[in-house]
Amino acid sequence: MAIINQATKELQVKVVYYGPAMGGKTTNLVQVHDHVQTAAGNKGKLVSLATSSDRTLFFDFLPIEAMTIKGFKTKFQLYTVPGQVIYNTTRQLVLRGVDGIVFVADSQYEKMPENVESFQNLMDNLATLKLNLTEIPYILQYNKRDLPNSAPLEYMEFLLNNRELQVPSFSASAHKCEGVFESLNMITRLLLQKFINQSAPQHA
Amino acid sequence: MATLPQLIEEDVQHLDKSLREFISQTDATAALIIDKGGFLIAHHGDDSQFDMTTIGALASGAFMANQTIAGLVNESNFNSVYQQGEKYSMLVVNVDEYCLIITIFDAAIGVGVMKYYVAGTIKQVAEALATARNRNPDGGVDLSMLNLADTQSVFRKREGE
Repeated sequence: MAIINQATKELQVKVVYYGPAMGGKTTNLVQVHDHVQTAAGNKGKLVSLATSSDRTLFFDFLPIEAMTIKGFKTKFQLYTVPGQVIYNTTRQLVLRGVDGIVFVADSQYEKMPENVESFQNLMDNLATLKLNLTEIPYILQYNKRDLPNSAPLEYMEFLLNNRELQVPSFSASAHKCEGVFESLNMITRLLLQKFINQSAPQHA
Repeated sequence: MATLPQLIEEDVQHLDKSLREFISQTDATAALIIDKGGFLIAHHGDDSQFDMTTIGALASGAFMANQTIAGLVNESNFNSVYQQGEKYSMLVVNVDEYCLIITIFDAAIGVGVMKYYVAGTIKQVAEALATARNRNPDGGVDLSMLNLADTQSVFRKREGE
């Protein structure tokens, strides 16, 4: 759950990049870190707890301060989860306190079962935290669109975005930084929309 | 869905006072209050040499991971993690279901001092945070001034890329 500090006019939110192994979650954070336009000093260090072969072991973490919006200094904490199946307990830990999710799907045809499995795993892990996807803003990012064996977008929409409430989805080639900022800005938009709805004054 | 937890000036003053007292009692280098989700809520002490935001996120993850490990070996009584260093040591202690206190202190100072004094700080911090959580939601922060049309440009790529 986000923290609002009215004393310092700060809003802190946590966004988790979720998805199957080797899907491009860490690449998203690396691209944001490398290319984001910030005033000096408000981009944190990208911390990666990874194995020697650069597979995420615990999580990647990037604190980043957005431009001040109407007087509120908005601090985003971007996390990835380890995609490998064996790290499920770690994924549950990282999801704690999540405010928004970017689900990074791998567009390659042969990865579709892993995408579906990872999405189901996300719902299962949220359930262990007494959360569900209807309460948490999330978007879908179809990554690796530049690969020749990528599945049609309609097919991926059918597999992953075939619910009563469809969510925004983006094509991306994260290693070229395509679709990365579009995804981040959309989850930001959904998050702020949710906060506005929640923080509206309650009338009897 | 619960309303947003909010900290007003009074909450922050309470938290700051508790941390200030703790540091004065123990001579710790820095003390932080963090949410278990990894958010830095408040901190006091020398923050010039440490990246408090990153320490908060990593310490939260480390505490939760160790708590899970303790559970796997049937240990239900788990409330702190102690990292012993040569220059600085660190103690992470549980406050309540949501929060932790991290204290960073000179390695020459015994951890027992920290454990003794942090008990009182935990109580004060827990009370202050409970007050903040239970506050009347009518005092909700007004975010309606946020211009959602602007969010497409909250994060921008650098020019020329």
